[in-house]
Amino acid sequence: MRTDPPATPIRQSRPFGGTTAFLWTEVLVQAHESLAMATSMVTQTVLLVFVYILNPGLIGVALIGAVLFSAFTLGQRVLNEAAYIRIDHKANDLYLAGPMTPEGYFLGIAGGILVVYFAPIALLGTLAVLVAHLSLTTSLALLGLAGLVWLFAASIGYIFSTFFRDNRAIWAYASLFFNVFGVLPPVFYPLGFFPVALRPVALLMPPSAAAALLQSQIGATTLSTGQTELALFGLIAETVLVFLCAIYWARRTVRGP
Amino acid sequence: MASVEEQFPDLPTSGRAIPSFGLVGWRWISRNPAVTITPVLIPFIFLYFLSLISPPSLLPLEIVGAMLFTMQNIGSWVLGDSATWRIECSLQDMFVASPLSRLRYLFGVAFSNLIAMIPALVVLLLLLTWVGGMRGHPVTGLVLLTLFVSLFTLWILFSSIGIAISSRVRTQREIWPVGNLTFTLLGMLSPLYYPLSALPPIWQDAARFLPTTYAALLVQGALGVTPATPTEMVLYAGLLGLCALVGLVVCLRLYRWGEA
Repeated sequence: MRTDPPATPIRQSRPFGGTTAFLWTEVLVQAHESLAMATSMVTQTVLLVFVYILNPGLIGVALIGAVLFSAFTLGQRVLNEAAYIRIDHKANDLYLAGPMTPEGYFLGIAGGILVVYFAPIALLGTLAVLVAHLSLTTSLALLGLAGLVWLFAASIGYIFSTFFRDNRAIWAYASLFFNVFGVLPPVFYPLGFFPVALRPVALLMPPSAAAALLQSQIGATTLSTGQTELALFGLIAETVLVFLCAIYWARRTVRGP
Repeated sequence: MASVEEQFPDLPTSGRAIPSFGLVGWRWISRNPAVTITPVLIPFIFLYFLSLISPPSLLPLEIVGAMLFTMQNIGSWVLGDSATWRIECSLQDMFVASPLSRLRYLFGVAFSNLIAMIPALVVLLLLLTWVGGMRGHPVTGLVLLTLFVSLFTLWILFSSIGIAISSRVRTQREIWPVGNLTFTLLGMLSPLYYPLSALPPIWQDAARFLPTTYAALLVQGALGVTPATPTEMVLYAGLLGLCALVGLVVCLRLYRWGEA
């Protein structure tokens, strides 16, 4: 009697296994989305135009804000992409049935999107350095803080993506979330313009915390020691916490034993 | 050969598109409250941002801009709905096979999306009445008339743009970027949130080709935010109608309905 050979168990990967492979897969996928790339800077450009026309003196602050906002909205792209792969292509089960780890899948999507969309952000960053006359230290701080904002947004975006069952609803919710946290708080304008009572709230939101720290570096905002600590703590602690949550959630939402 | 009516005597040959799509619109927002919250909140987020960085005297102008921008954004929602129904749900074939004509389909989808925008428009109108009254720009009958004419024209025009583009997109992935690019750029190029005179000269010239510019100038003129003589008002209304007509003709030519 003929019997099937015993199933070969799938080799378990080390933690974060498959990140690099899926990152480059995602780079190839995203690189074909020329239209999406062309539109990645639309909102930032609109807000910069508003500032340029209505209050040109704030253009340096707004350009720094545009870099941070761009890093933040990459989370929206992670959300869209993860939801699209799961809902429309139904391919996440296929990807995750292999040796790739769930966190590798999440970081692969996030990293691939970052690689593809880095060029326009770098262009904005260069403009910010030139227009706001950023020193080398401040420029490096901008890079580092934008990286933290990206990690926070990508983690939130991935977690949110798992809640959607319908592609059509994504835009409304994602647009609301990223506009509320990216445009409303003082990201494109100085912290001093924001109501005093709400400033601690702004300093606890990663995009505006990063913006406030950079604004204080260029002299556009004065932060007390307590405010600086709050902004730094808020940014670092929230980013680490949300990132760990995203890894936990990625592992938790994988189907099967 | 027997006609369709002879073969299928019970097949309906007419229907009520607007109430049907109205129901679709209502079910959509009742199941997804954020769909209503988002168009209400996004103009306010921009208004708040603008009120911080611009002179307070521009606030009535910016509220009018937010109303026109909200109506213009219906185009993006029409694009999203129509493309999703065609690509993901494969519903358009059924619509084409039904007695529904393409124009009734267009008005149906536009109407279903208007429902989600009405709360935002009402709140913005109340805000305009309050702020305009305080700043010496009261909302008169003429303002309401120009607002209605402008909003109605933009509703039809931008819904047509949305549905024309939706019939051309090939994948779900294209919907959001195409809508975002088209409608945000059209909104930004027109002087919705700032006076036309604040723009660089070449930009002013480009803006004069857009119907939204004349909608904005018409309402701004009626409100007294941007001074305009009665002759200029008539000219703005005429140019709004002309631009909208040209836009509609182009959209209807681009709009793919059935196989033919």
